[in-house]
Amino acid sequence: MAMADPTSDFFERLGQPGARRLGNVTASIRIDLDRGKATEHWLLAIDKGNISVSRKNTKADAALHTDKEIFDRLARGEASPLASMLRGLVQAEGDTELIVLFQGLFPAPHNPLSRQASADMKSQPA
Amino acid sequence: MSENLVNALDGNTFVVSDRRGDIVASPTDTTGLFSFDTRFLSKWVLTVDGQRLSPLSVNDLQYFETRFFLVPGTGTIYVNATLSVVRQRAVGNGFHEELTILNHDEKPVDLRVRIDAGSDFADIFEIKDAVGKKGKYYRRIDKQKLVLGYERETFRRETTISSSAPTQLDEDGLSFSLKIGPHSSWTTDLAVVTALAGREEEHDKPKYGRAARMARPNMAHSLEKWLEEAPSLVSDWEPLHTTYRRSLVDLAALRFTLPIGRGASLPAAGLPWFMAIFGRDSILTSLQALPFAPELAATTIRALGAWQGTRVDDFRDEDPGRIVHEIRAGETAAFEEQPHSPYYGNADATPLYVVLLDEYERWSGDSVLVRDREPQARAALAWIEEYADLQGNGYISYQRRNEETGLENQCWKDSWDSISYRDGRLPGFPRATCELQGYAYDAKIRGARLARTVWKDPEYADQLERQAADLKRRFNSDFWIEDGQYYALALDGDGSQVDALSSNIGHLLWSGIVDKSKAEAVARHLMGPQLFSGWGVRTLADGEARFNPVGYHTGAVWPFDNAFIAWGLRRYGFKAEAARIAAGILDAADYFSGRLPEAFAGYDRAFTVYPVEYPTACSPQAWSTGTPLLLLRTMLGLEPLGEHLVVEPALPRAIGLLALLNVPGRWGTIDVFGRGGVREEPKTRLRPQLSDGNQ
Repeated sequence: MAMADPTSDFFERLGQPGARRLGNVTASIRIDLDRGKATEHWLLAIDKGNISVSRKNTKADAALHTDKEIFDRLARGEASPLASMLRGLVQAEGDTELIVLFQGLFPAPHNPLSRQASADMKSQPA
Repeated sequence: MSENLVNALDGNTFVVSDRRGDIVASPTDTTGLFSFDTRFLSKWVLTVDGQRLSPLSVNDLQYFETRFFLVPGTGTIYVNATLSVVRQRAVGNGFHEELTILNHDEKPVDLRVRIDAGSDFADIFEIKDAVGKKGKYYRRIDKQKLVLGYERETFRRETTISSSAPTQLDEDGLSFSLKIGPHSSWTTDLAVVTALAGREEEHDKPKYGRAARMARPNMAHSLEKWLEEAPSLVSDWEPLHTTYRRSLVDLAALRFTLPIGRGASLPAAGLPWFMAIFGRDSILTSLQALPFAPELAATTIRALGAWQGTRVDDFRDEDPGRIVHEIRAGETAAFEEQPHSPYYGNADATPLYVVLLDEYERWSGDSVLVRDREPQARAALAWIEEYADLQGNGYISYQRRNEETGLENQCWKDSWDSISYRDGRLPGFPRATCELQGYAYDAKIRGARLARTVWKDPEYADQLERQAADLKRRFNSDFWIEDGQYYALALDGDGSQVDALSSNIGHLLWSGIVDKSKAEAVARHLMGPQLFSGWGVRTLADGEARFNPVGYHTGAVWPFDNAFIAWGLRRYGFKAEAARIAAGILDAADYFSGRLPEAFAGYDRAFTVYPVEYPTACSPQAWSTGTPLLLLRTMLGLEPLGEHLVVEPALPRAIGLLALLNVPGRWGTIDVFGRGGVREEPKTRLRPQLSDGNQ
């Protein structure tokens, strides 16, 4: 597999015609991703559930802030968005309803059991 | 629990302490300051000159506020009546405690006052099944504040303690060296702030740092407003006033304020284990409270709609369209040792979501919200067809995919032994319990109404109605037990009937899936001696192999269950039967000082005379709190019809007058009245009662 950028792929998919909608919402969400000393921004403009994506850094109704690396994992379905928030890996501010709707856009985590639980099980003696 | 005190606020934060106001928790003890499913204080002990104190009196001022009157010394040795200590505590983002010491002597007094503080940061799940902590604890003194912390990787929870009066801080608490003049007093404000700290820079941000003291007047105002906005009750049945007020106040306490609701709130499930978002509980409580506090339904619709499942995730038993079961914020959820981030393992909340949406629109006329939630409603209805039919037989059934930490029984009777055959055997999976089919039927009928009137999609409405009619026809043949003249509790993994007689058949009446010709037999069973205890309908009938009057879902009486059964009986025209259930449950409420527990024992009423509380019942608990409200609606026969409210009272015979003033709805507000029939003097007994259970 080529070393793609899971974050870019994720946002690209969101912006495509026929992509998942976000309820009936009209609002905006900004995602700020730390990448070393730089921060990259993504802006979702949502019109009646239809999402369009840009790289603008403007004020939004809700904002998420995390490391690029962590977002890559979410975008690949390797981590759970809510569990990541509870662990302090992802910060959210603004309209919580938007944050909650947004977390539903990430792909399903790879489990039958969660990664954390699988890791714990492996470390336990049989 | 009777010697403990419970303070709750906004559903999310609560304190349980002893009657001195002290907290001395152990890993398996439930006292403490809790917030976001985490215990933030497990030790909070006040001493004066090295001595613990003794309570003189404790006043619950509001559901969020308690005042403790204390004197130094414990037991027989307290003699120093020249000192009084008052602790006044208000809960919210932690708590605020105003500590006052009064010297009644004519001489000044020197005192050493000490508060020992500590926290184990236990997850609520660990308190139930105490397990070891994987992270590390820390304590530090920072800018005149004592910080207690717990850290596991990036997961961090902190409790910050400070005092308005000068204090000597150490890592185990606060010390005060005082001199109080004759007939004088000393006071300090103690702030205990809980924080879900994330990254370094987030540490001391005041996001969660509002001292409760600042919020206190608002809380009182909010409760006052809440009570004012609810309809007023008029009745000659005096205990009903206590029960009604208790229900409203407890419902206020159980409100879980979500940022998502923009200050609005939805009901959390109950103290102390279920103070989180529960899909099923929030929906059923919102339904019960609709004629009284419709805003709860609006918030529930918004919040559960936002959390609706979007992916197939086995660990969380998530499917697209499925309504959430439970969300937790504690350590075990954060590290995915429990699946509640969020967990979707229920089979009823999804159809019930559509039921609530329709019932909300019928009451409120708020078609904007209902139009906005069309995608969620369609996804919920699609879930019934595409994901819930595990056996391919056209019925909702459930089987957990998370075999380790998922729920076995994904209906409201969620304990392991709740679903059984008459002979006590437990069926295999998947299980299709009967009430789920009723909910699915009701969801389709109501979905069709919304499709036709609000979403303007008559084709979709037709399709849903065809599905509903087909479901009803099949159900009345596949679930009906001809010999017993009742519906099977479930179909098992082979599609065979699970033949126990249970309260679930009452929910079928509520949903409308029961054939008219079968309704009378169902009502007769519900009111018969096997199911009806005299107080209410038992979860499982006396005579079934697993029947046990103190069995959680195998014989106990659940007030909420009865409220929905009474609603169902009215739907099919069984007015007297509905009134009899209302009478029994409201009588029981009176014995519990107006606060119905989650469940009480299924003993025969004639045998125990008073209702026996279930040993570990949750109280207050949201859908028990909502029960008297739904019973009021049922007794008055309130039913929205177009722009009007139909009133068709059928009261228990001991109630002469029942009225609700200012019932809110699409009609604005309206006063509704009901008058009883023959008034009888209650027989001499412990207290006047609405019914003896055998009328």
